[in-house]
Amino acid sequence: MKINQKDLLAGLVLLAFAVAGLWLNLDHTLGTARRMGPGYMPMLAFGVLLFLSVTIIGLSLFNGPDPLERWAWRELFLILAAICVFGLILEKAGMIVTLAVTIAISTLADRTHKPLGVLGLILFLVALCWFVFIQELDIRIPVWPTYFGP
Amino acid sequence: METLFANLALGFSVAFSFENLTFALLGAFIGTAIGVLPGIGPVATISLLLPITFGMSPTTAIIMLAGIYYGSQYGGSTTAILLNLPGEVSSVVTVIEGYKMARNGRAGAALATAALGSFFAGSVATVVVAASGPLLTSVALSFGPADYFSLMFLGLVISAVLAQGSIVKGIGMVVLGVGLGLVGTDVQTGQQRFTFGVPELSDGVGFVAIAMGMFGIAEIILNLERPESRNVMTNKVGSLFLTREEFRRAVPSVLRGTALGTVLGILPGGGASLSAFGSYMVERKVSKYRHLFGTGAIEGVAGPEAANNAAAQSSFIPLLTLGIPANAVMALMVGALIIQGIQPGPRMVEAQPDLFWGLICSMWVGNLMLVIINLPMIGMWVKLLEVPYRHLYPAIMIFCSIGIYSINNNVFDVYLMVLFGIFGYLCSKLKLEGAPLLIGFVLGPMMEEHLRRAMLLSRGDVMVFVERPISAAMLAIAAIALLAMLLPGLRSGKEKAMAEGG
Repeated sequence: MKINQKDLLAGLVLLAFAVAGLWLNLDHTLGTARRMGPGYMPMLAFGVLLFLSVTIIGLSLFNGPDPLERWAWRELFLILAAICVFGLILEKAGMIVTLAVTIAISTLADRTHKPLGVLGLILFLVALCWFVFIQELDIRIPVWPTYFGP
Repeated sequence: METLFANLALGFSVAFSFENLTFALLGAFIGTAIGVLPGIGPVATISLLLPITFGMSPTTAIIMLAGIYYGSQYGGSTTAILLNLPGEVSSVVTVIEGYKMARNGRAGAALATAALGSFFAGSVATVVVAASGPLLTSVALSFGPADYFSLMFLGLVISAVLAQGSIVKGIGMVVLGVGLGLVGTDVQTGQQRFTFGVPELSDGVGFVAIAMGMFGIAEIILNLERPESRNVMTNKVGSLFLTREEFRRAVPSVLRGTALGTVLGILPGGGASLSAFGSYMVERKVSKYRHLFGTGAIEGVAGPEAANNAAAQSSFIPLLTLGIPANAVMALMVGALIIQGIQPGPRMVEAQPDLFWGLICSMWVGNLMLVIINLPMIGMWVKLLEVPYRHLYPAIMIFCSIGIYSINNNVFDVYLMVLFGIFGYLCSKLKLEGAPLLIGFVLGPMMEEHLRRAMLLSRGDVMVFVERPISAAMLAIAAIALLAMLLPGLRSGKEKAMAEGG
């Protein structure tokens, strides 16, 4: 027995989706094959997924070994945190401030960054975004902080 | 024949309009840039630029997005040859012989072979698209709902079979994609499905959020955890001109690569990378100079580079004629068209002749532009390679963030992108492919619609799928493809090809 850990976990992930999908689908009327209700296609799709995920789990018990890899938790957290901060403060703080903060957080994910380089990067990217998104494309996005305004 | 010329004349008049020329050039330029840069690919870039195209006319939008895709095939080879690192997945095999050529002082020749081979292949494939488009379209117009369902089923099966790694996992991702595609309001009854009462989900899961999260954000994290090692051969590009001997050796490989790439590009799940792998394998088996492989054989550059570009063009055939995406990039094109209010499918040639013929002609024009962008201006791209990744990823990240926000002016999409970023990272750690998921996501709702219609017409009789000859043939091919992959011999052959290529 050589367990393929990657496949085993992949199978479990897909199984979770299938079970959750089928469970949530209980709310929808299935209808008949002739007149399909909103629940018919999801039932087929998640049913097939259930079958496949069980197959993957079954096969994973024999086709290993393939151990799990380490996760880059630090990089993962910092990048995603930076984007979440972007979402949280954009509409209050405006694009310029938000970008500066977001870029500053994201640069922590790479240890080779130097403070002066980060500053230059922020200035360059803010100017670039302002030119591309505000000047050229004119997208509707707050540019300056509106928090203290009306 | 006469109509073909009339159509091409229309196409060129569209492609040569100032606006379309400008955006074709812009697309080719951006495509080359992201092709050159490792760590950002066409899927992430196109989803990034999708929001920007909303304001353009559909034709202009598609012309630009297409330019990015085939432009990236040109740019990817530059990095492969000069950096010993693939700029794109599709130039993975170019690294093997291309970098050796560069170390032999023939970097210029390798670059010229790649660009000119790509141009030739692109031109041929464009002609194939132009010729086969109307032909296939007329066939497709006779398709009933059952035939469509079976065709999409076949497409999904093949895209999973051809995906890298385990087939069962590939199909699993396709089906998960179909499931994700069903989130939102049911078209026929208006019932909310899997929305958890979130109003933002009633239109379905944001397509761009999935693509950006899984191909843009997840990719950043994956790149950050790999230590960066670059060794640019900046000052040794050398003469761009091929010797007569090199030219003579490259020609047959380019021809073989073009043929192979054009065919493989049409297949669902095929596309540029598979064609490049395939061509490399063929060259190593049949080339007269195969004993030179491993020492910088020009065949190993000419074949795969021609193949990947031919495939990038011909993968438009199923999209333009049947409305079915052959790979993740084409899935994005479907998204772009639907957002523009155009349902991709066989009626597009009739209803949108400007778009159809304009796109085809712009592909050829774009390929011509790319030769100029890539060869005389090679020095500029070498400079771009000196930009370290640590300066690049914050830019990719904020472009993704602003882009996704600007679609609906809603931060919900930003968080959705984060969610799919995590999921994409998880998937790549578990060797689950993202591309089949994206194709399944696009095809899922279409399949449901055709299934419903087919079953309504047949009064609930499942036999309709085997009674209609077209549908039966599709299902038979799908079954054969599935059975074939279960045979151990073929399977190990595929794995071997992938392993050697990668």
